[in-house]
Amino acid sequence: MKPATLALVVAASALATGCANPERSRDLSNPAVSATTMAQQVCSNCHGMTGTAESPNFPNLAAQTEPYFVAQLSGFRSRARRDPPGFEYMWGLSRSLSDEQIKGLAAYYAGQTPVPQRIEGDSTRFEAGKALFVSGVADKGVPACSTCHGAEGKGNETFPRLAGQHADYLMKQLLVFQRTDERPEGSIMKTVAHDLTAQNIQDVAAYLQAMPSL
Amino acid sequence: MSIPPGWHERQIASGIKQSTTMQHSKVARRPAIAKPFQAFFAILALVLALPPTDATAIPAFNRQTGQNCVACHAGGQFPELTPYGRSFKMTGYTIGERAVPISGMAVATFSKVADTTKSDDPAGDFQKNNRVIFATASLLLGGKITDNIGAFAQVTYDPYASQDENGNFHGHSNADNIDIRYADRFISDKRDLIFGFSANNNPSVSDPWNTAAAWMQYVPLPSPTSSRFIDGNAPYPGFGAGGNIAGFTAYAYWNQLLYVELGGYGTSRGLTSFMSGGLDDASTTKLHGINPYWRLALNREWGPHSLMLGTSGMVARVYDDPLDTSDPASTHRFTDLAVDAQYQYLLDPHAVTAQLVYARNRHDYPAALADQPAAFFDASGAPTLANSNSTDTNKVLRGKVSYVYQAKYGGSLGLFKLTGTTNTANQTAGYDATGTLIKTDGAASNLSGNPATRGATLEAFWMPIQYLRVGAQYTAYGRFNGASTNYDGFGRNARDNNTLFLYSWLAY
Repeated sequence: MKPATLALVVAASALATGCANPERSRDLSNPAVSATTMAQQVCSNCHGMTGTAESPNFPNLAAQTEPYFVAQLSGFRSRARRDPPGFEYMWGLSRSLSDEQIKGLAAYYAGQTPVPQRIEGDSTRFEAGKALFVSGVADKGVPACSTCHGAEGKGNETFPRLAGQHADYLMKQLLVFQRTDERPEGSIMKTVAHDLTAQNIQDVAAYLQAMPSL
Repeated sequence: MSIPPGWHERQIASGIKQSTTMQHSKVARRPAIAKPFQAFFAILALVLALPPTDATAIPAFNRQTGQNCVACHAGGQFPELTPYGRSFKMTGYTIGERAVPISGMAVATFSKVADTTKSDDPAGDFQKNNRVIFATASLLLGGKITDNIGAFAQVTYDPYASQDENGNFHGHSNADNIDIRYADRFISDKRDLIFGFSANNNPSVSDPWNTAAAWMQYVPLPSPTSSRFIDGNAPYPGFGAGGNIAGFTAYAYWNQLLYVELGGYGTSRGLTSFMSGGLDDASTTKLHGINPYWRLALNREWGPHSLMLGTSGMVARVYDDPLDTSDPASTHRFTDLAVDAQYQYLLDPHAVTAQLVYARNRHDYPAALADQPAAFFDASGAPTLANSNSTDTNKVLRGKVSYVYQAKYGGSLGLFKLTGTTNTANQTAGYDATGTLIKTDGAASNLSGNPATRGATLEAFWMPIQYLRVGAQYTAYGRFNGASTNYDGFGRNARDNNTLFLYSWLAY
């Protein structure tokens, strides 16, 4: 590179460095970037513009309870939540978020309208899933999911909304709870999920994904 | 719907658990190559000993977003992008926070050609055959510069760039892929528009899909001649203008549905001379004027699936002699048109990608090179061969299906088929005026003047940790240079070129 070219590139870079664009920024370390901007410019890539993720690889966030959302994003930031998708996707994105931005993101997603999800599975599966959700498994001491997550699965404070969540995500997270200590904030679920069979997990996940359409 | 088996085994420390298995590799027992492999394993062990959870110690884009490779690269197999990776690229590499923008990449390879006996110069035709070599290394500069500007730039060192008369190799570095962007995104719940500009040095390097000519072939290529038949040197779609030219493109991606990119390429010189940095004047492609490039793609994502159908093309006029650009009539005109499709299924721990490209490349020769007497003669030494063509047309078909499990174990099957016009100017083997058979391109000499080549590549790879990929490719040929047997006139058959290629690719 000729010196003149180099000087031009350096000068242009230096000039451009001063140009911030907080209204449409994708900067995750700038506290001046609003939660809404962040949700639109960055989070939407995987979680959808309104918190409904097209890919089941990523959870739906629409209408998620704010305390639960704050706990998760804070958990990613502190690396306390360390399930594989957590550290692969979320540790880095959350590492420099301010408390205010996390609260703002929680409010943004809590205010979104959930979109009914695809109904996948047959009625036998839904009936079994519903039974588990509503009544638990008495002889194994598994409590009813609805006790904490609400009769309509909408969640309650730190207990997350489950209705309309991707079944694939729910199944993976139930396995995380059942087999690991990677989500210490959800340790109560380790006890709850301990005796669930693979069939139980598939049934309840299918039922929850289909809620509230069923 | 079922619980994905093995999903949960993808743990932070799993790379370490796997580290001992490589040491039982069969190849390590071969005395002739044991020493290089020992060095290879020493490096591997060193890498595996590094703290795998330290997200700050991996390449520049990882430092910027703090995410693992798998977020942007399908199944972690760089450079193939996920939908998120495409978005990261289209928004100008600006997601995240500014970080140290430097990464490095090093590739060690091993090539073994099936038959090295049918050659009058095995040492020259199959340099470094059956040996582990340090093939290439790159310095990568990449990352966010401002909220709207980001860059990806690569300088590559080739230890085998040239060879002196004593047979000693000499290394050389030059500019590799460069893509400097400005991008903005207007997004609401009603619309999503990403648009931007790219200054780049290789047509389609700015493309977000990996069926693009600049990206479909991905393993860095070793220069020694033992690697001339590896998959990366088998037919791939490409643009006649080649790389190290200076381009400026504008692109838009609307509602994650429609992608349009338009641009022009010219000679890398003056302010854009860094696009061909490291190349001397005689090695720098000289283009006549501004040469158009276009790209159109339709994208759809549903559930874990994504599908792209697209087309791209370029018309380029390239001076025959880079040192003489005085006469526009001395240019080759390349008209390239491709249609491509890519399907991805990405749901942890599975990543499936299917790619298909069909490219048609028309090459119009400058008048001074068209309709010229053939350089070779018939078997009796008489000048009866047809004059050279004024135009050649080649068609390349490439398909590939890959699968990666747990972002760790992967495999792929690739098929390639090149067909094209026969042209005596493309002969590199034939009879001289005395009726004696001669050849000028070693083991790849072409007797027919026809480029037809077809075959398949089977690959298996393993990523013990996210920034190391170890792969084995076996490429088999059914046809080479227009023939299945005796394509060079000296008895070399297409299948003699079948090649085993091993690579260890570290990006850090």
